[in-house]
Amino acid sequence: MAMLSGWHRRMCEEDFKLMFGLFWSMRALATALDPKNPTKQQMGAPMRIGDGCSFNSFRTSSYKLHFLESPSGLKFVLTTDPSVGSMSEQLQYIYASLFVELVVKNPLYTPGEPFLFEPFSAALNKYMRTLGLLS
Amino acid sequence: MFQSRGSAGIVDKPFRQGRQEISLSSFAYLFSEMVQYCQSRVSNISELERKLDEVGYGVGLRLLEVLCYRERGQRRETRLLDMLKFIHSTLWRYLFGRQARDLEQSNSAEDEYMISDTDLPVTKFVSVPREMGHLNPAAFVAGIVRGALDGAGFPARVTAHYVPVAGQPRPKTVILMKFNAAVMQREQRMPGG
Amino acid sequence: METISAEIFTLTYGSMVRQLIADYEDVEEVNKQLDKMGFSIGQRLIDEFLAKSKTQRCSDFREAAEKVAKVGFRMFLNTTAAVTNWNAEGTECSLILEDNPLTDFVELPEALSQLKYSNLLCGVIRGALEMVNMDVECTFVRDVLQGDDVYEMRLKLLSSSPETYPFKDDD
Repeated sequence: MAMLSGWHRRMCEEDFKLMFGLFWSMRALATALDPKNPTKQQMGAPMRIGDGCSFNSFRTSSYKLHFLESPSGLKFVLTTDPSVGSMSEQLQYIYASLFVELVVKNPLYTPGEPFLFEPFSAALNKYMRTLGLLS
Repeated sequence: MFQSRGSAGIVDKPFRQGRQEISLSSFAYLFSEMVQYCQSRVSNISELERKLDEVGYGVGLRLLEVLCYRERGQRRETRLLDMLKFIHSTLWRYLFGRQARDLEQSNSAEDEYMISDTDLPVTKFVSVPREMGHLNPAAFVAGIVRGALDGAGFPARVTAHYVPVAGQPRPKTVILMKFNAAVMQREQRMPGG
Repeated sequence: METISAEIFTLTYGSMVRQLIADYEDVEEVNKQLDKMGFSIGQRLIDEFLAKSKTQRCSDFREAAEKVAKVGFRMFLNTTAAVTNWNAEGTECSLILEDNPLTDFVELPEALSQLKYSNLLCGVIRGALEMVNMDVECTFVRDVLQGDDVYEMRLKLLSSSPETYPFKDDD
C-alpha cells in the first residue's frame, strides 16, 4: 500500500483490512461486470495478481478516490477533491518515475515491507504540489 | 594457465568496437544487492566499506587495462601528475560520463591528493538510514581508484569521504589518495620532478 | 533511459563473483548464492519493468516468456533472447541467449568448471515472475563458459495459483 500521509484519520490494522477488502472487491467487481471481458467470469471467481486491474476510481460528494494496481500487486491510492479529473496518468508517473527510482532502487527496500524513505516522500510532495493538489 | 574449451578462445573473440551500453538500473540493482551481501558478511560499517573497496579494487585493476588499451593506445603513465589526470578525466569519464569536478593537492601533506565530485551515480540511489551511520558507498569508487593506481604502479591508500558544501543541499564526495613513500621518492628522482 | 558502460557492469559482476568464491569455497554454494541474489533483484526489478513497459496484464506464461526474452532482456541487458522448445502443455520453454554481457571476456579455470557464472540471471527471472504470481524453475542447461555454443536457460512453470484473500472473514 502506498503512503498514508495526509489521511485525516490515523490508520490502524482494522482500517487497513477494510481498505484492502474494498480494493479487492472493487477489482473483482470491475472485472466481472466488464462487458468487454472475453472470459465471462463469475462475481466470486478467484483472481490472479497478474491479471491486472481495470478499476480506476470512485467518486462521492466529498472526495474522489483514484486507484492504480500493478500486475505485481502494488496498490497506489490517492484521494482528491471530487472535481479532479482522471489521475491514472499521474499515478502511472508516480509508479514509474518516483516509486521505481526512489523506493525500488533503494537497497533498504524489501518488497512487501512498509517503508519510509525521505527522498521519496519529498519527491512525492513536490509532484503533488506541481499538480496543484497540495498547497 | 587457462584452458580454452569453447569453440573460440577468449583471445580470438573480437574486441568490441566502441562503447557498449547497459541500463544504469541494472548496475544499480547489482550494486544494491552487492551492498546487501557484503553487509550480511560483516559486523560493522568499516568492514562493510572495506569489502566494498575490495570489490572496487578488482574492477579498477581490470578497468585500467581496458582503458589503456582502448583509449590511450597502450601507453601507460609514468609520472604521478599524469596518472592523476588520467584518473580525473579518462577514468572518471568512463565511469560517470564526465570529468571529475576537482583535482587538488592537499595543503597539509605533499603525498596527498583529492579528487572531488557531486552526485556520483553510485551514491545517488542510496539513502543511508540512521542505523548505517557513516556508511559511504563511494568506498566502491575509492576501491576502483585504488585498483587502477596499484595496477599502474602508483600504490596508495585511497578513501572516500563526504564533505558538506556551504549552500549545497548534498555533500560532495572526496576521494582522498595518499601515495606510498616509494612513489613519492621515485617522483623526486625523475627528471623535471 | 540512463545508461552506463557495459564494461563497468561486467567488471563489477566479475569482481562480485570473485568475492563469493573467496567467501564460499564450495562452488555449489556460490551457484546458490548467485541465484538467491538474482531472486532478490528480480523481486524489485519487476516493478521497473512493469511500470516502464506499461504492462497492464501479465498472466499468460507464453506471453510472459516472450516479454522476458524480448522486452526484459533489452531493457536491462541491452540484448535479446529467443524463446524456443516449448513443451506440448505450454509450461516449459528455453531462453536462448547468444550475447551475454555478464560474461564478456570471462573464462573459467579448470577448478571452477562447475561454476554457473551467470546464475544470477536465473534468479532474476524467477524472482520477477514470482511477483506476478508465476512460480517458475529456471536453470542453465547450456553455458558458453562451460564449452557450449550458446547460453540456454530452461524455464518451467510450476504453478500459478489465484490470489487468496489474506484476511479471515470476520462477521
